[in-house]
Amino acid sequence: MLKAYEALRAEADKVWQAVEKPARTLIRMPIATCSIPGGALETLETLRREVKERGLAVDVEQVGETGLCWLEPLVEVRKPDGSVILYQKITPDRVDKLLSETIDGVCRDYAFAVVAGPAVEGVPMLADYDYWQIQDRRLIARCGVIDPENIDHYIATDGYSGFANAREQSQEDVIKIVSESTLRGRSGSNFPTGTKWEFLRSKTREPKYLICNADEGDPGAFVNRILMECDPHSIIEGMLVAAHATGASHAYVYIRDEYPLAIERMQKAVDQARERGLLGDDVLGTGLKFDCEIWRGAGSYVCGEESGLLASVNDMRGMPQIRPPFPADSGVLKQPTNVNNIETYAATAMVMQKGLEYWNSVGTERNRGTKIFSLSGHIDRPGVIEVPFGFPFRKFYDMFAVGEWYERKSWKAIQSGAALAGILPAHLAVKLTLEPEVFREHGVLLGGGGIVFIDETACIVDLNVMFSWFLEDESCGRCTTCHGGTQRMTEIFRRIAKGGGRGDDYNKMGILGKALQWSNCVHGSASPTIMLKSAEYFREEIDEHIIEGRCRAQVCKDLIRYEVFGSSDKLPEAAEICPTEAVVQEGKGWKIIDERCIRCDACREVAPEAIHVVDAPQKPPEFIRIQDVGLDARGTMQSH
Amino acid sequence: MLDTEATLEIARLVAEFKPDDADLLPALHKVQHHYGYIPREAMAVVAKQLHVSEAHVYGAVTFYAELRTIPPPETRIDWCSGPACRLKGSERIRRALEATLEIGMEENTPGDKLGLHLAQCNGTCDYAPQLWVNGKVIGPLTTSEAIKLARDLKGTK
Repeated sequence: MLKAYEALRAEADKVWQAVEKPARTLIRMPIATCSIPGGALETLETLRREVKERGLAVDVEQVGETGLCWLEPLVEVRKPDGSVILYQKITPDRVDKLLSETIDGVCRDYAFAVVAGPAVEGVPMLADYDYWQIQDRRLIARCGVIDPENIDHYIATDGYSGFANAREQSQEDVIKIVSESTLRGRSGSNFPTGTKWEFLRSKTREPKYLICNADEGDPGAFVNRILMECDPHSIIEGMLVAAHATGASHAYVYIRDEYPLAIERMQKAVDQARERGLLGDDVLGTGLKFDCEIWRGAGSYVCGEESGLLASVNDMRGMPQIRPPFPADSGVLKQPTNVNNIETYAATAMVMQKGLEYWNSVGTERNRGTKIFSLSGHIDRPGVIEVPFGFPFRKFYDMFAVGEWYERKSWKAIQSGAALAGILPAHLAVKLTLEPEVFREHGVLLGGGGIVFIDETACIVDLNVMFSWFLEDESCGRCTTCHGGTQRMTEIFRRIAKGGGRGDDYNKMGILGKALQWSNCVHGSASPTIMLKSAEYFREEIDEHIIEGRCRAQVCKDLIRYEVFGSSDKLPEAAEICPTEAVVQEGKGWKIIDERCIRCDACREVAPEAIHVVDAPQKPPEFIRIQDVGLDARGTMQSH
Repeated sequence: MLDTEATLEIARLVAEFKPDDADLLPALHKVQHHYGYIPREAMAVVAKQLHVSEAHVYGAVTFYAELRTIPPPETRIDWCSGPACRLKGSERIRRALEATLEIGMEENTPGDKLGLHLAQCNGTCDYAPQLWVNGKVIGPLTTSEAIKLARDLKGTK
């Protein structure tokens, strides 16, 4: 092991000892984007103030998030006897009781789990929770365990040892290890990482660049964010490994503008790494020249596409480019470049830290290792987890949708990779295992890791309006196929949502599906997927909109009406809240003026016993079913 | 309209940036950080500094959703357009907000007091459906809560 690394490690170990074996009570608070909205910063401030005012022998520090977002704000209490207990939902008003009861014991009312140390009666062990047990936290092992703004915590937990290992091997050997790990691009592209690195290694023109794609524009995906905010050095280390393997000397970490905390923490991490000689002209005295720059995006989904990102960095609007040339030949400033997702880099760091056997010990034959996923939508435990490839999908639903709501509403569908990935009905999703190939067999993509759960209260037509609008809005405009095609998709679904569906709408979808294949980049070519999958699996529901002008979920606002049907002393309040003055008195009673009503539901929230939603089907005057040419499995028109 | 003095000030702001050096977005971010938006005149200054045409800069500014070409409002209300929020009623909240504030997305109320901005999912999905008021996540919200919030911010009851 490199001497310079050993010196860093020795120092870091001392700092980490103070956390592992605190001399006195240590309270640590997860501070990151999921805990802050729940009041974590206010709780932290209250904790610090109370400790000071009471003169308690307690230290208060911050850590990263665990991904158990629905329990935030969490508070961790560590004691000298080795006990580590997590407390949940500690808003500022709960600090007083928490402090009082944990000084000499456990605050049972707020306790969530015992993480380590002696068991406590009535408080489960963290490992007892099913949604913790199923996880194999390797990439996010440090999330919630270390302070992301303290490089010593990272180093003490084997951080940068992966780079030290890599540096002692040849470029070819490191790339061989990466290839044998079966690691593939985690943005959703699934291109073999080892192969990509070899492309760059084989180029001789210098300087060579690395790009870290942290644009994470998929709505519902926040797996990259948790790494940046809670374990930023793992990404830097991954890039160092790549720099050694490929000969790159400079990296841009392209972070989306919508992640200000991630930008801040990555910048801090880069600054700290530089201070310790882990970035610069002579990394750890090994002669490697490598440095990183944090590059801030400005709000554009296609900048998550490799060539769109490169265009954005190269002083242009983020328009995906015409290829060839590919990034390995011409990328940043026309120099050879490798673009990889954050999670991909972090995975290579881990493979080099812990070894190939460790990585390959889980997962499937063709997909070794683990993947981070973020779950959201119609579940009551939205958060971030990590499981091995091949994990049965059904278990997610069983463990993350458990409240009363979910006993009453049935599960309808999932979307696994945002708008471009498609949509799958629940009855198929339950049979799947988490592998890109399994999802592809059903015509959808596993994607970058964001999974949105959809129940029966959602309307398929409404979802298609939303996703086709998103794809149109984010289309760069280069090719008419894409920006015109997505525009037409949006128009068709908006029309259907208003009850204006036509007999040849499915035929139009088929034509669009075929035409969009000819787009310049994956944004255009994958955009019809969700439309075609919806037509395939949710035909009946779309038919209801087209033929009957009816929305079974009562979501499409032009197909429903709000009515006063009973009496309630809350009706004056309902009238008051209505933003368009549609709830008015009529004689002794009340009514809703339909033309003014925008179907915002505020009145019904206030007076549910007196106001309800009724179907208001917009049946087209003369419905003519034009001969349905039909769509085959790939959404192309069947020949006739 | 900005006067010559302001143009000089912008030139000072972007003096560190160089052509063909991956500096366009950093330059635009710096201008927006200073003024709250990208004034039309700034585009000419940035173009000159980076040896590109003004049309090139204009194309980039109007391409990115987070770059503004009109002054920011005092209080910015971001509406999340993401899927988790949509599934939990964000469209109803949008209609209610637009009706309450009498503006659409990317517009400011008179005097630039309040403004609505269509924002992309940032992954705080356990607070869905949500709004961000000057960057702070407020959620989960019912439609009536959103209306009350908007009325409070507007200064009406």
